[in-house]
Amino acid sequence: MHLAMMKPGQQGRIVRIGTAVGPMKRRLMDMGVLAGEPVRVEKVAPLGDPIEVIIKGYHLSLRKKEAEGIEVEVSL
Amino acid sequence: MTEQTPHTDHTASASGARPLVVAVAGNPNVGKSTLINAIAGTRLQVGNWPGVTVEKKEAVFEHNGRKIRLVDLPGTYSLSPYTQEEIIARDYLVKERPDLIVNVVDATNLERNLYLTVQLLELGIPVVMALNIYDEATAKGYRFNIRDIEMMLGVSVVPTSATRKNGLNELLDKALETAAQPAGHAPRILNYGDDIETAVALLADTLRREHPALFSLYPERWLLLRLMEGDERLRQETNLPKDALPEEIFHHLRRGHGEDLEAVMADARYSQAAGLAREVLFRKEGRHAELTERIDRVVLNRFLGIPIFLAAMWLMFKLTFDLSKPFGDWIGDMAGGPFKHWTTVLLGLVGAPDWTVSLATEGVISGVGFVLVFVPVIFMMMFFITFLEGSGYMARAAFVMDRAMHAMGLHGKSFIPLLLGFGCNVPGIYATRTLENPRDKVLTALLIPLMSCGARLPVYVLFVGAFFPNNPGTVIWSLYVMGIVLAIVMGVVFKRTLFRGEAPMFIMELPPYRMPAFTSLCLHTWEKGKHFLIKAGTYIFAVSIFVWFLLNLPWGVEHKKDSYLGQAGQVMAPVLSPLGFGTWQAASSLITGVIAKEIVVGTMGEIYAPKKDEQKKTEASFGEDLREIAVSFGKAVKESVSNVVSTFGVSSLAADEKEDRGPLKQTIHQTFTPLSAYAFMVFVLLYMPCVVVAIAMRQEFGSWKWFGVAFAYQSVLAWGMAMIVYQGGLLLGLGV
Repeated sequence: MHLAMMKPGQQGRIVRIGTAVGPMKRRLMDMGVLAGEPVRVEKVAPLGDPIEVIIKGYHLSLRKKEAEGIEVEVSL
Repeated sequence: MTEQTPHTDHTASASGARPLVVAVAGNPNVGKSTLINAIAGTRLQVGNWPGVTVEKKEAVFEHNGRKIRLVDLPGTYSLSPYTQEEIIARDYLVKERPDLIVNVVDATNLERNLYLTVQLLELGIPVVMALNIYDEATAKGYRFNIRDIEMMLGVSVVPTSATRKNGLNELLDKALETAAQPAGHAPRILNYGDDIETAVALLADTLRREHPALFSLYPERWLLLRLMEGDERLRQETNLPKDALPEEIFHHLRRGHGEDLEAVMADARYSQAAGLAREVLFRKEGRHAELTERIDRVVLNRFLGIPIFLAAMWLMFKLTFDLSKPFGDWIGDMAGGPFKHWTTVLLGLVGAPDWTVSLATEGVISGVGFVLVFVPVIFMMMFFITFLEGSGYMARAAFVMDRAMHAMGLHGKSFIPLLLGFGCNVPGIYATRTLENPRDKVLTALLIPLMSCGARLPVYVLFVGAFFPNNPGTVIWSLYVMGIVLAIVMGVVFKRTLFRGEAPMFIMELPPYRMPAFTSLCLHTWEKGKHFLIKAGTYIFAVSIFVWFLLNLPWGVEHKKDSYLGQAGQVMAPVLSPLGFGTWQAASSLITGVIAKEIVVGTMGEIYAPKKDEQKKTEASFGEDLREIAVSFGKAVKESVSNVVSTFGVSSLAADEKEDRGPLKQTIHQTFTPLSAYAFMVFVLLYMPCVVVAIAMRQEFGSWKWFGVAFAYQSVLAWGMAMIVYQGGLLLGLGV
């Protein structure tokens, strides 16, 4: 399961950064998207993309395409 | 060619007077700009980093008798080798080696901010931490053990609240104290765990044996860690062969932690940051919805999000243009009225020849006036853009619009520059600064000229009034729509041609809403406006002098047709024949329209329907003129205020026909048909952007290249579309 599949309000944990590579992977890691990190999907933009998540206590937005590269397990 | 940047060579000056070089580093949205503005105030100098369009701020000042040079690094989350901002920041730190780093940290978001701090410590440069937004953090119930941060990191920590100017003196005191004995303030070397540290030690041995020179060029620990995580930029810079790092060093590390050492290092650094934050920060458990979240529930709501966004954009557009327009007009009137008048009188008194009078009034004063007319709108735009960014709404605007903009290959933040383009393309171009990625910036700027700006409206109004009196609204509307449709088409075309490849990322923080400090906002606006005045002003001024010569050479030219401009018009006319307006008059008007598109109307007026010489009021005294200036300024203020108060329409888009164009409307009937008139309007909409846009592009992108691209594609587009309209119309039998 990947991050783009999670619904607003759902909580989960990042398993690993899967398909994202190179600069995008590094950027995600620099923003705190790391294996084991709890993540919560907060909102989907009015037009359906991008999404907003809470990670490391702050709000991060990313496109669904980018979120697809992040594997998660849903806990709640 | 790069923008002139303030002098950075601090080693050259005499050692006694050598200023202390302090680099200010931190994440975006942590109040770094506010802090620097509060410290340096008007002593700030704004330029660009060499070769790129990223802004560089510097200030030299004295604190307690010691000279300090403050260098603001771009806001970054990390020192990775990918984004422009990060490369600038790390190159500066590694190559220029400032004496000290002031690390601005957001106290309300400690862990992610410490991730950068941890990386800064690797450089071995003394660090003073400004624990900023401290007031907000303590108000939220956060408590910090500052002694512990200092102990664990080996840095000095000063709580600050830049918007309230709290803690800034202490920060500078600490900076001087640290700089006085840097040896006693070396940052702690953080232990990243046995596996990493063992590999680092082995790597150090290998490199010291085989490439000892590297250690004098780079901070040792930084070099080792970056090479280990596979930093490609650094490897190329150091000219190390790919096999310079023996693989067996990393065997153990890879087996225990995973193949990807970049991820291993990110993990190690974040663990340090998380561990530290856990130790020094105390807060009550349990999240309650914060103000930002409550606002976002409404502002980013599925149904309300877009209406709110559009309302906010409408308000910003209205304030930017309607508030500034009366002042712009006032400046224009003053330059065209009293100043010209006085100059004429003064030059007459000293017996200067007529041509110098004309050069001084039509060339110089018009040129200066032309620059100044833009000042109010640029200032307003900068003010609102800075406000949107500082308040946190800019990121939301991007969030709401990204889906639509991304379809054209743009970024959510592209919307605002494009929108501003409808008022005037120039502030639109400058507003592309809010985009971080160079590709997004350039692509947005290339499409802005297709937004039909306010200066094109007088041309439409004239032609629509003469040829389409029955449905003027529909015709003008069709031109605006054509511009938007072509922008979408060109966006897709550019995405597939000049800008092929992966679209830049949209991994963006949505920062908490905050009220920007008013003084910092004004200061920022002033810096930007000043920059425009000096840099763009010089060019614009030169161009208007040049055009004066075009119009008035060869010497003693009587008829406009014989001036260089008229001659150029005659040469160009045949090219325009297939479009239905192949006359030297139309061509010459279009050429002058390059200065500003509304000038097309003025030139046509002069060519087609020359006014009889107006009776010049030479009797008006100096005093009366002064009174007139004051009175009309008062009127401008009043108008500006009433523009904001009135909620009807956007007055900057309402074309007012100041002068009576009756005779001109009559005469253009002789050379235009409704069809060729429409083709002409299409051409005016699309053909090359005005010189001020050209200069803005030059200034923002550091070269004429992108203006060249805009010029080329727009010329083709304008000619092609006008041709299709005219020839297609003829085929359909509309040419009567």
